This record gives sequence, C-alpha cells and structure tokens, in this order.
Amino acid sequence: MDVLSANANVSRVPFFRFLNFEIRSLDSLHAEAEMTFDERLIGNPVMEYYHGGIIASFMEATAAIAVHPDFADVPAKPINLTVDYLRPGVKGPLYARAKLTRKGKRMASVSVITWQTDREKAVAEGLYHFLLV
Amino acid sequence: MSDITKKKMEQIAQMWNARGKGLIKHMALQIEEVSTEGVRVRMPFNPEFCVDADQTLLHGGILTALLDSVFGLANFVAIEGVSTMATLDLRVDYLRPARSRADVIVRAHCFRETRHIAFNSGSVWFEGHEAAEIARGTASFALTRGNTSLFDAMTKGKAS
Repeated sequence: MDVLSANANVSRVPFFRFLNFEIRSLDSLHAEAEMTFDERLIGNPVMEYYHGGIIASFMEATAAIAVHPDFADVPAKPINLTVDYLRPGVKGPLYARAKLTRKGKRMASVSVITWQTDREKAVAEGLYHFLLV
Repeated sequence: MSDITKKKMEQIAQMWNARGKGLIKHMALQIEEVSTEGVRVRMPFNPEFCVDADQTLLHGGILTALLDSVFGLANFVAIEGVSTMATLDLRVDYLRPARSRADVIVRAHCFRETRHIAFNSGSVWFEGHEAAEIARGTASFALTRGNTSLFDAMTKGKAS
C-alpha cells in the first residue's frame, strides 16, 4: 500500500484527524508518521509539553497503520500497550516509527519509537499488541 | 476530611478548571469525587475521540490519555508537597471494545508513594456499566518535591 492511500485512510478516522498526523513512509514491516503540534495536545500547560496520553495515542495510531494500513472500517484492534517515557515532548513536530516485530495469524506485536529533532534521543518507546481476528 | 485536605481539594479543582488550554480542557473532564483514597472523574462523550464513521467506538488512545491525566490528579491529591511529576511508564489493557455514546468514568488511585516515585492504578467504564470495565491501567510517576507547585504557576496566571 502506498503512502497516499494510507493517508486517505487516516483522514477517515475522526480521532486521527484530532491527533493531526500524516504517514511519511510505509513498507510491509514499518510505518513512519509526523504529528503537528497543537494547543489541544498539550499536557503541561506551563511548559507546553505534549500530553503523555497523546504521545501514547500517536504511537498506537502509527502501530495500527503498520499492522493494517489498508483497514476497511476501523484501524487494527489494540489489546494492550506499555509506554516508557524518556524525555518531555516539546512544542514542535513529533515523529513516530512503528516496527512490526511479529505478525502471526491472531496477534501482532509492534514496537514504536517517537522523537523530535534527533532520532537517537527518543521521547518515548512503546510496545503494542493487536488482535487480528 | 481535614481542613488542609479540603483546601487542597479546592486548589486542585481550581487548577483543573483554570486550564486555559490543553487536552484536559479539551476532554472537558469533571471531577466527581476526590479523596486521599482515590479520585473519580467523568469524561463526557466526544465524537472527535472515535475511530469509526458512525462515531460510536472510542479510540483506545483517548482512554490511555484519560488514565494518565487522572493518575496525575490522584497523585496531587494523595501526596503532600509535590511540585511537578512526569509519567515514567504506563501500561494499559483494553478489556472490551469501547463502543457507546455514554460518558466515560475513571477511578484511579495512588497505591504506593516513595520519595521519588508514585505508583498508580485505575479503571475505566461507561456510565452505568461499572461491571463491564473497558480498560485498566497502571503507571509510575517520577515526583519532584518542593514548595513551588504547578497549581501556583497556573493559578497565578503564568500559564494563561
């Protein structure tokens, strides 16, 4: 599936429009996305950091695209997640890269990393499971 | 409830309501119950948080965001002298599809605090369906102790 069709799919999901991100690259095992900073995504209004739950949501969305970019109705069904928060997400674009660690018949395991100016300095890392049946 | 606690509750409620921007304001969270035993918060249904065209199925991420927010509130209530905190890690299990247009209720509490760390757990359900939890989460937070609180920074206009 190409990036253009994946983004057309993303734009059909109300919550993905709320997060306001775009898929930047896509292959059979990875998805990369960029989210634009917005006031409604703030968690700490004094420092203007991204809300931790928004970072987790963005990672979940990118992971779901990696699992199933050509979803028909709703994105891949999440089972659970763990997120490790490493640095604050400051005002500016946030990037996510999801890697399909394993895709079986019933389950998929995806690891996701997010960063801002330097890929080596992760803002958060997450592990997500999806139900494929 | 002691006077100090009561004063603190008012401060916390004020802090939440005074937020001029950000996700918590956008989620329109309402504090329903607050005590050192835990907190209960309501999130009104919002179609923007759905994944389907009919807008009846909430995205898991918004439940995660809700838990993260309410854990923060529970910590401010339960722990004396916290100035700021940062989520260290978070785990969420999605127990059922979150399909409803009902308000979402969260209950969360801090089950252990140390000088540097707070441990939290919480549950999420649709109003009137407490027996059918839609998500459960646990988290740990890194605490910064001190006299300058986030409340002061926010209520004294620095944030607005």
